[in-house]
Amino acid sequence: MVALVIALALFFDFTNGFHDTANAMATPIATGAIKPKTAVALAAVLNLVGAFLSTEVAKTVSGGIIREGSGGVQITPEIIFAGLMGAVLWNMITWLKGLPSSSSHALFGGLIGAAVIGAGFNSVNLETLLQKVILPAVFAPLIAGLAAYVCTRLAYALTARHDPETGSKLTQKRGGFRTGQIFTSSLVALAHGTNDAQKTMGIITLVLIAAGTQAPGSGPQLWVIAACAFAIAIGTYAGGWRIIRTMGSGLTEVKPAQGFAAETSTASAILASSHLGFALSTTQVASGSVIGSGMGRRGTTVRWGMVGKIALGWLFTLPAAAIVGALTALLVKTGVVGVLIAAIAGSGAVLFMFFYSRKSAVSHQNAVEVEEAGQAVRFAKKKAMARARAKAKAKAEADAAANNPKAAAEAPTAAANNPKESQR
Amino acid sequence: MKWLELLTVGGATLVSAAVVVTLYSLGVRLTAIAGDADQPSPGTKRSLAYACFGLCGLAVLFGLYLIIPYFSK
Repeated sequence: MVALVIALALFFDFTNGFHDTANAMATPIATGAIKPKTAVALAAVLNLVGAFLSTEVAKTVSGGIIREGSGGVQITPEIIFAGLMGAVLWNMITWLKGLPSSSSHALFGGLIGAAVIGAGFNSVNLETLLQKVILPAVFAPLIAGLAAYVCTRLAYALTARHDPETGSKLTQKRGGFRTGQIFTSSLVALAHGTNDAQKTMGIITLVLIAAGTQAPGSGPQLWVIAACAFAIAIGTYAGGWRIIRTMGSGLTEVKPAQGFAAETSTASAILASSHLGFALSTTQVASGSVIGSGMGRRGTTVRWGMVGKIALGWLFTLPAAAIVGALTALLVKTGVVGVLIAAIAGSGAVLFMFFYSRKSAVSHQNAVEVEEAGQAVRFAKKKAMARARAKAKAKAEADAAANNPKAAAEAPTAAANNPKESQR
Repeated sequence: MKWLELLTVGGATLVSAAVVVTLYSLGVRLTAIAGDADQPSPGTKRSLAYACFGLCGLAVLFGLYLIIPYFSK
């Protein structure tokens, strides 16, 4: 059981990683600040570093939402297993739909469902639930959206340059925001690593303590830290391209200045919330920032249909994960066979979703239509065509030269033109 | 309810993001100005721009300071 929970926890960490790559890297990928592959590699490394940097483990996995200890639920490996199952399956479903949704809320939901089955509705602390999940879910996008809106307006107002006499536009160099994006998005990725790998470390440590293999009250062991760090890094590198597509181009078109404003808002919101005590979800902050920056630039439309879909996804995160968690908890209660059935059904569902996703694969090649990528493709085509044309010409000339000496004299000039063409 | 904390977080987010974006935008604008053809003192403008970017870099370092618990404690 303990091994099973650890494996599932690591897989949850992995889904968490690829679910949240988009938070940091969707906008720089969309504006072409960083190439897609480089971006996810950078995010992966930063997540890895972040996971090792901070070993301060959240003492309670559930953050007080479930009443633990005396008068509440004894958190057992079974409940954690059921909760993780709910979280993992919900993460997979939202990934398949390309919806950014909070991994921690899915984890909370799964644990709540499992605890309700294990110990009844009394075990859930409704006030804490309201304070830690529902209110932040409303305010995170609002705060980040407002900040991103203001910042986008500021960025555009400050860099707008018109000739005072003619009124024509002067060079604005807004592409300069791309460089800034690299730093702000890296900051978001690092912050994510320090926060989210912690959750899994906390869970595994809790399980080890519950199983009696580790002294109560001790911190996570080194192999747990390393395993979690690598799980989240690999997950990040795998890249949730579907979610990146939603965040990078599904909500609104993102230009460098907007992307910079959005990421700065995301980074500030995450740092402010984690240091001033009102925890906000990274995913919800990042989504709010993108929407806010979309509203801030004139001539940009925000696709409210997509926003509605995402909001609906957030609304369902907790109950859906809770239901899966509860069902798993019911199965697990029946004994070893139930655990086996749950494990097999769970991995079956994950595999099914993975193969289903292959039908319409989204990868780094087609996640976001980047201006520059499009140009690169066109360049390549032109080059290839020029080369093909040159070849055909050379061949025709060679043929012609065999027949006609006059054409042979023209051939060198044609050959002199060809290199230029292919260099373009 | 922690309304005060919520307000603090919202305010801090807004102010810090706005400051960083303002500085960076000024930097971008100054770079653009320095790049103009008929600019009398491109050197000054350019160094001012770099000063702006440098301040943004300080903000990023402050973010790192907040992220890494080793420093905050």
